[in-house]
Amino acid sequence: MTSPRQRATAEFILDHLVWFMLAAVLIAFSIFVPNFFQIGIFANIVEQSTFVGVMAIGLAIVIIAGHMDLSVESTAALAAMITGILFCSRGIGMGLTFAPEWLVIPVSLVISLAVGGLIGFLNGFFTIKLKMNAFIVTLASYIWVRGLVVAISGGRSAQDLSPSLRSIGIEQVLYIPLMAWIAIICFVMFSFIMGRTPFGRHVTLIGGNAVAAFRAGIKVDRLMFISFILAGAIAGLAGWLLAIRTSGATANLGTGMLFNAFAAVVIGGVSLKGGVGKLPGVYAGVLLLSSIHTAINLMGLPAHYTQVILGLLVLAAVLLDTLKIQIRQRFA
Amino acid sequence: MSFPTLLELDDIRMNFGAIEALRGVSFKVGKGEVVALLGDNGAGKSTLVKIISGGLKASAGRMVFDGEERFFPTPAEAKAQGIETVYQDLSLCTNVDVVGNFFMGREMVKKWLGFIPVLQEKEMEAVVAQALQNAGTRIPSLRTNVEHLSGGQRQAIELNRFAHWGGKLVLLDEPFAALGVEQTRRGLGLIRRIAGQGIGVIVITHIMQQAFQVADRIVVIRQGRVAGDVPAKQTSPDEVVGLITGEAQAYGKPSGQTQETRPNGPIPN
Repeated sequence: MTSPRQRATAEFILDHLVWFMLAAVLIAFSIFVPNFFQIGIFANIVEQSTFVGVMAIGLAIVIIAGHMDLSVESTAALAAMITGILFCSRGIGMGLTFAPEWLVIPVSLVISLAVGGLIGFLNGFFTIKLKMNAFIVTLASYIWVRGLVVAISGGRSAQDLSPSLRSIGIEQVLYIPLMAWIAIICFVMFSFIMGRTPFGRHVTLIGGNAVAAFRAGIKVDRLMFISFILAGAIAGLAGWLLAIRTSGATANLGTGMLFNAFAAVVIGGVSLKGGVGKLPGVYAGVLLLSSIHTAINLMGLPAHYTQVILGLLVLAAVLLDTLKIQIRQRFA
Repeated sequence: MSFPTLLELDDIRMNFGAIEALRGVSFKVGKGEVVALLGDNGAGKSTLVKIISGGLKASAGRMVFDGEERFFPTPAEAKAQGIETVYQDLSLCTNVDVVGNFFMGREMVKKWLGFIPVLQEKEMEAVVAQALQNAGTRIPSLRTNVEHLSGGQRQAIELNRFAHWGGKLVLLDEPFAALGVEQTRRGLGLIRRIAGQGIGVIVITHIMQQAFQVADRIVVIRQGRVAGDVPAKQTSPDEVVGLITGEAQAYGKPSGQTQETRPNGPIPN
């Protein structure tokens, strides 16, 4: 027998498992990895988490709603490439400028969000209006959007982004780069939206049982559509940040990020079945992955091990998810 | 006991092509009355339920609900007017807590800065606690996800939610199919309490004993017709079995004209 108190504690730990894992990993690395315990390293971990983190927000929302979006990585690359082509002054860049110069920031941001939103709209259209399988639709987008990136760039790159934009990539606030703050603000904002507003509640309900939500008068199709557009737009934001960080864009920019984002989402406690998961957990998942990357770098291991560890972590996360159910039953 | 009429069905007929699923069904359900709808597989119970709740359009006949003659074109329309079918587990999202389910699609919201809608969790929880308490339902924590609750507790949430949001007539299709003995006993009590709030209840069941435990009246459908419409207190399980199988003849309703003897009719399942 277990008391309600014990049960509540167990529930709490299970719900926030990824944070405990993150803390454990950070403590272990601080003790065992030389030079790990410094502000610079932690700031670096947070900075590294920016792009995958932002991308993972949109991915997580669509998965919580019970669907899938494999296209976020390519969407981000497209937004980055268009930003690069328009506002870079070398390579394939057209070097557009504005007076006053800072106008380039809002204009490029809006363009990136719109490009992402458009891809999201197409995904939503095929999935919801034409009732096609989201996995296949977004897999197709993953392929053709990347193809488009290569096509419009001719395989070449854009360099030397407009200085106003680049300043965003250089600024620091409280030891942490401004870009990382943008990611953190996004997480706070979307955690609020998912946790405290009717939109988030309805998306979660749909992910749990779309039929019940529909019967309760929730506009299931409309909300699903919005989720896809949102995921696209957020991926566009990630692309914008990527372009700023690399001061331009290459045709293969961001390759492989999808799987990191996916891993973070799963490790962060989002169930692929839909309806389960919280965004702060996803951010913890991203931080956990970045910490491991950083530790591997510091230890001087070949970078390829990161991928092995990443794969094992995803397996462990899914295993934990399965175990959670059994543990819950023991406490129920 | 007599109940003010809530729903009146008059000579409802339903054809699927050449097949007559319902061949003139008439009966009434009163406010606060529990009617058990019995009948063999393929007798037409499901068709009838769908017609009442807007899932199907009757080929002919009249329906009067709450004093107004009308059929409902869609389940949503029926629901808006207070008729709902509660299916096992189809109307709850088990990944969300009790409060979230109770307020599904009707969340209480306040606006931050005039435009950001924010859920009023505390206020909603208080409303749910009050509603469940009034109905005598006890659920340990309203913040528990529904997946951790028993089948009986889930049913209680569904029915209380229905009653709370102004439901008038609830249709329950095999409500106890997945429940244990004790849960079924509580479920039956819950149905009585729901009816006690003036809600009409139609229970479809195969289990005779349950029908007698909960119903005020028993309506037997056989081969698309009302084969019997009797107060539960004035009949016996044996007699009802006879009505279901067609060995006994109905008393009460005129629609049960002399039954043709058909070899298990051309009625679809």
